[in-house]
Amino acid sequence: MTRAQFLAGLGAGLGAGLGIAPLWPGPAAFAQRHPMPENAKVYIIWPADGQVVRGGFWVRMGLSEGGIAPAGVEKPMTGHHHLLIDVDLPDLNKPIPNDRNHLHFGLGQTEARLDLPPGKHTLQMLLGDENHVPHDPPLMSKRITVTVLPATGS
Amino acid sequence: MAFPRRLLLLGAAALPVAARGQDKPADHAHEPPAATPAPTLTPTGAEAPRQRQAAPPDAYVYIGWPQDRQVIYGTRFKLWFGTRNFGVAPAGVSKANTGHHHLLIDVDLPDLNKPIPNDRNHLHFGLGQTETMLELPPGTHTLQLLMGDADHVPHDPPVMSKRITITVRPGKPQAVSARSAP
Repeated sequence: MTRAQFLAGLGAGLGAGLGIAPLWPGPAAFAQRHPMPENAKVYIIWPADGQVVRGGFWVRMGLSEGGIAPAGVEKPMTGHHHLLIDVDLPDLNKPIPNDRNHLHFGLGQTEARLDLPPGKHTLQMLLGDENHVPHDPPLMSKRITVTVLPATGS
Repeated sequence: MAFPRRLLLLGAAALPVAARGQDKPADHAHEPPAATPAPTLTPTGAEAPRQRQAAPPDAYVYIGWPQDRQVIYGTRFKLWFGTRNFGVAPAGVSKANTGHHHLLIDVDLPDLNKPIPNDRNHLHFGLGQTETMLELPPGTHTLQLLMGDADHVPHDPPVMSKRITITVRPGKPQAVSARSAP
């Protein structure tokens, strides 16, 4: 492990721990994007496109022909999930932003609990490498639309 | 662990010698982070009982598909792994609250203090896969997921799914190949 990789990993680890992106994106900003297996694919297992949900819900994230590795872990044919909410695809040559529209799952999570305000929302998954940079070609799901209804009473 | 303390101390004393002989232990592992006190008393290799990594009590895995008692037509089908309150990391990666999946087929739980065996009844997903294509002969089969840490050892408490039973029948979605189970 080179010093740069170590620092990048450290930054990503800290970022994941605090729920923020590393301020210094590390070598990723100029790095070559990693390949993934040709037949790899990410997809939203649940909810389905057009689904109507009430209140909070879990999103289940699927990956075929590849592996999940936490942020900061460099391993060929792996990545970690990002969920884009109500937003277009970001610049694919840069680390995926980290904010309320771009959720990071840097621990290697495959499910996410979402509490979105009532209304229509779009969801799209985008896989990122150890530095949160999309692969080449990028692995992303179809962008789906869900309708959130207010939670009942609670 | 049931070892008397004196034995452990002896083991510890012998460790440097053993370590010099073997250089790096088996896995292509990264250095374990300082946060996880590495179980230093496992010089005899992967088979020795060792300290298990902690898992949050609310972590769980489940088989997303198929469901318990499902009848499946066609001997080749996809099974996906559900994981909640826990992360996925490839084998060899030491990171708290993560692990990788193992699928137990037609077999009881293994010894939870040892690395999960690797054979046709215990499939390893060391790349960090979260789904797999299975090919099983027609008949009744049991399936259960069990998480393992960087060294394939179950966590404490173990993160495992319910053991489900499925019935495979020859039928429409034909087997793509005659490849036998690994």
